[in-house]
Amino acid sequence: MDLLLWYENGLVGTFIRESIWGYPIVLSSHAVGMATVLGIALMLCLRVLGFARGITVTAFDKLFTVGWVGFAINLVSGIILFAGSASLYFFQWTFQLKIGAILVGGILLKVVMNAVRANKSESTQKLLAAACMLCWLVGVITGRLMAYITA
Amino acid sequence: MNLESLALWLGQGFLHDQMVDKFWMFPMMETFHFIGLSFMFGALLVIDGRVLGIGKFISMKEAMKFIPVAIVAFAVNLISGYAFLSSDPATYLYNIGFQWKIGLIVIAGFNALWFWFGEHKQLTQLADGQEAPFTAKIIALGSIVLWVLVIILGRMIPYTDF
Repeated sequence: MDLLLWYENGLVGTFIRESIWGYPIVLSSHAVGMATVLGIALMLCLRVLGFARGITVTAFDKLFTVGWVGFAINLVSGIILFAGSASLYFFQWTFQLKIGAILVGGILLKVVMNAVRANKSESTQKLLAAACMLCWLVGVITGRLMAYITA
Repeated sequence: MNLESLALWLGQGFLHDQMVDKFWMFPMMETFHFIGLSFMFGALLVIDGRVLGIGKFISMKEAMKFIPVAIVAFAVNLISGYAFLSSDPATYLYNIGFQWKIGLIVIAGFNALWFWFGEHKQLTQLADGQEAPFTAKIIALGSIVLWVLVIILGRMIPYTDF
């Protein structure tokens, strides 16, 4: 708690609360990063689920770089936004679930790619891809609900 | 029709009533809007990314299958976007961020038509790994830039209410 308050009352927290354009700009970056990282993750999952089979899953690799750029944008903008009310966000179940879903979704993305490269059975690949997609969607839903459910 | 009467016309009907009466309608529509934008932007990243040469071993013909994904996602966002608009039309219509957002969506629409009628056919004949023509690359870059701006402006709407 001390750490949360220290961060919230520090330079970043003060900036994001007091600067007029600081918050909207960082918030917009968070939306662009989200569209990028989520977009790539969702399209890869769609492909593994059997959509656009003519694309080799490994040809998707290059797009991962783009996805990582989106992730980096959101990690930085997310850490800045978090400073806005760290002591509140940290205890919101929507926030906790969001972070958990993103972590699991990210790991699953790697697991999906490994399963594809290792030529695991199609049903295994599809099951993993569906779980991965679900995690990322839970990440967006809970992220949006953070603004409404403050418990 | 001026903005005032347009606002009056939009601020009525079933969807407007639901958006105003049910506290969960707005957050639900927002969630749909965000999921829709992620699907749409993701589909565009595959198509435009391939055209621009990022992941050029993605089969161009197969990448085009993501066009319907983008269209369905856009439809979801058109409906959810209309729901926000109908909930409080005047606030949106007079908002500079919203006005620019709609303007850019229209431009992005023309850009997409140019892609479809000018480049689509030629592009589907591209071999895997083959570079797309320069014009197609310009359109693809334009598409990414325009939609990024649309996302930014959309997020800015609450702060551009002067």
